[in-house]
This record gives sequence, structure tokens and C-alpha cells, in this order.
Amino acid sequence: MDQASNLTPRAQMSLTAGLFYQFRKSIKALKMFAVIAGPGIIVMVADNDAGGITTYTATGAKYGNHLLWFLILLGPVAYYVQEMTVRLGAVTKRGHAEAIFEAFGSFWGWFSLLDLVLTDWLTMITEFIGMTAAMSIFGVPAWVTVLGCWLVMGSMIMSGSYWTWEKLALVFCVGNLIYIPAAFLVQPSVGDIFRNALIPHFPPGGFTNELFFLLMANIGTTIAPWMLFFQQSSVVDKGLQEKDIKFGKWDTAIGSFLTVIVATFLIIVCAKLLPGQPIDSAAEAAIRIMPTNKYVGTIIAIGLFDAGLLGAICISLASSWAFGEVFGWAHSLNHKIKEAPWFYAYYFFDLVLAGMVVLIPHAPLVLITLFVQVIATTLLPAALVFLILLLNDKKTMGKYRNTAWKNIANVTIVLVIIVLSTMYGITTLFPNLLQ
Amino acid sequence: MNAFSAIFKSLANGVRATNKKYARPQIEMTLFVRICLLTLRLYLFSLVGLMIYKFVITLRH
Repeated sequence: MDQASNLTPRAQMSLTAGLFYQFRKSIKALKMFAVIAGPGIIVMVADNDAGGITTYTATGAKYGNHLLWFLILLGPVAYYVQEMTVRLGAVTKRGHAEAIFEAFGSFWGWFSLLDLVLTDWLTMITEFIGMTAAMSIFGVPAWVTVLGCWLVMGSMIMSGSYWTWEKLALVFCVGNLIYIPAAFLVQPSVGDIFRNALIPHFPPGGFTNELFFLLMANIGTTIAPWMLFFQQSSVVDKGLQEKDIKFGKWDTAIGSFLTVIVATFLIIVCAKLLPGQPIDSAAEAAIRIMPTNKYVGTIIAIGLFDAGLLGAICISLASSWAFGEVFGWAHSLNHKIKEAPWFYAYYFFDLVLAGMVVLIPHAPLVLITLFVQVIATTLLPAALVFLILLLNDKKTMGKYRNTAWKNIANVTIVLVIIVLSTMYGITTLFPNLLQ
Repeated sequence: MNAFSAIFKSLANGVRATNKKYARPQIEMTLFVRICLLTLRLYLFSLVGLMIYKFVITLRH
């Protein structure tokens, strides 16, 4: 203050002008970010899909707040992986499926595309399972839920504008934050939360097979193959350029922060209200909480429905974009249905087929849920390895290729994910392996 | 019926055109890339083998 008053009027003016310039620059950067943000936030929040919500409720109920530190660690992991898709999409202007075809040839291209289609379709079924289970708590029949979802998801993409679709998807992302007020409603111990979030440790009972399986499930739900394909295609459809990469990274970072926040608050809720109880699904958690805390039970059910809907919206698009890229169909949300008939036809085909499976009486829904984990194990390592190789290709990436430090971080993360997700897939196939 | 055969014909043509378009991998095939792709093939063969094994023992029971 004293220093400022000692300045000459001219120096004071230049200081004011400098501050005003910085202020205008920050406002301009914020406006730019508001325009560019979207793909990262949507993919990361959609990552907390119906399967993810179930995993978090089971984690909170079984181990309380003891695994919060692990969830927090997964945020940067998700960021580092997804950030690569932003660079790859902005530089190559190609979706992940097309980039794999072009770089590695048709064998690996078809493998990735067909595996993605199968994984996405099965995951879509699990989203519909989550949505119908959530709405059944409010007495809504499954067929009404499925029909409603078809209408909402169909009308969202028929606007013929990527921007409209993105804004609507962001509204559903806000819905995913519903678990934050729920955590405040249950009044947890703040000291306990901070202690468990900041100090890595194993829950009482030590490192057991059950704990290992749950840790793997949390990793499996944080990094899914469809996320790589979705974000890269979304970046391309939005038209991000190399100069936008910085904002794209911020978009992804904020998204990964939100995904961890949502997961953390849900775990806190379940740790407080369902301590030590074995939970098989998020809908079951909502039902069990209802008699003691009606509001929180309702919030969990609404959040589960929203998570399933957001997941289904993104996953169905990931497959449609991939097909469009490879077959050379018009595949932008900026196209009207008449301009991109195959792209939209595939989207609706995927949507309707997944919804119908849930309506089939006695359909093996539990088997399908387990099968998703196994099939994803075959695609995730391949997609991650391709991502690392593409990000190191000088011809493709130029100055945007991975630096040595980025490679050390990314390769370590990818190797850990591959090992753990493989073990997760194998233990799903052979549940007694770890006993 | 004609509509279905037209759709399948169009898809088959699309597959053929895609195979032709991406016949040659564009990435620089360094030793590291070759090792990665070979490892990936071995990994996938092992995983598919495990799945088939699981399928067979489930059927037997």
C-alpha cells in the first residue's frame, strides 16, 4: 500500500492499466473456457454411471470412509489418461476408432470397433438396469422408464446441433452432483473424513480378497474403454483446435475433480447410513436407507437414474461416432437426421435394443453385468496401448507428442490399470481364484 | 426383403472399402511398436483362451 502511494501518477496509471489488462485477459480466458469446456466434464461425470454408483455404494457400505484416499488418487489417474484423447483429437481431427484404423491397420481397427460396440451395448443394458431399478422405487413400471429414456435421449440428439446436445448433457451432469447435499444431510464426522481421505491405509481387517476385488472394481469403473472413444470423438465433433488444447485440459481436470467429488460424497453417505452392510446394487442401498432417512434414500434413487441416463447418452454416442468415422458416414451431431441417416439409425438401434433387453422377462441381467467387466478387459488394454503409441508418434503428433515425463507417468498408469483390470476380469470369470 | 439385402450389400461394400483404405498401417513400425503389438496379441489370445475354458467348464457342469 505504502509502495503504491509512493509511485508517480504516471506509474500508478500504468499499474492500474496493467491490472485492468490482466482482468480483461482473465475474463476473456474464462469466456473462452466456457465455450470450449464440455467434453471433459461430460465424459468424467458420465463415468459415474449406474455401475459406478453401485460400486461406490458397495465401497462405502462395506469399508466406510477408509477407501476415500484411494478414490482421490483415481482422479489424477483418470485425468492423465483422458487428457491424451484431447490432444490426439485436437491434433489429428479424428476420433479414436478412425485413428486406430489409420495407424495400426484394419485388423486392430476392426478388433477395437467390434469390441467397443459389444462393450458399449452391454454397458448400455446395465445403464437401463440401473434406471429401471431406480424408478421402480417410486413405483414407475420398467416399460414406462425405458420409453421415457428413449424419448429423452432421442429428442436430445435430434436438435441437429452439437451445442444444444452438450448443454443438455451438462444439465444431467449437474444432476449427478445431487449426492453432495445428501452427504450434508447425514451430518458425517468431518475429522474422520479428512483423516481417511488424506492418510492412505487399509480398512480394519487388512488386505483381504474382498478388499482387493472392490479396489479393482473402483479402478474398472474409473477408466472405461468407451470414455477414450467418446472424448476424442466429442473433441473432434466440437471442432477443437491445437490452440484449444490448454482449455481442453482444464475441462478434463475439472471433470476428473467432479467425478471424484461425487464418488467421495456418495461413499460418505453410505458409510454413515449403511455401515458394514453388504450391498449388491445402488437401488438396494436406496431401498435400505428409505425407512431411516427418506430424503437421502430418494436422492440416491434419483442420482442413480440420472447416472444411468447420462451414461447411456454418452455410451450410445461413442459407438455411433466410431461407426461413422470408420465407414465414412456423416457422423456429427451438427447434422440433421436427413444428412446423417446411418449415424442416427445406429444410435437409435443401439438405444432401442439395449432398452428392450431389460424388458425381456427373466433376462440374465446379473450375467450381463458380469460379462461387461470381462469384455471391457479385452478392449481397455488395447485402447490404452494404442493411445500411448499414437501419442508418441512424431509424424502424427508433432510438438504435441508425449514428453519423457508424460510418458513415465502415462506408461506407469496404463500398466497399473492393465494389470488390475485384467485381474478384475479374471476374478470375475473365476470368483474363487483369490480365495 | 430387398431393403434388407440392399442394407447388407451396402455394409459389405463399406467393409471392403474400409479394409482397402486402411490396408497399410500408417504408424512408424519401430521395434517398440512391434513389441507392443505382439504383446497385445499374446495378451488377447490368453484372455480369449481363458474365456473359452470358462465357457467349456460351465457347460460341463
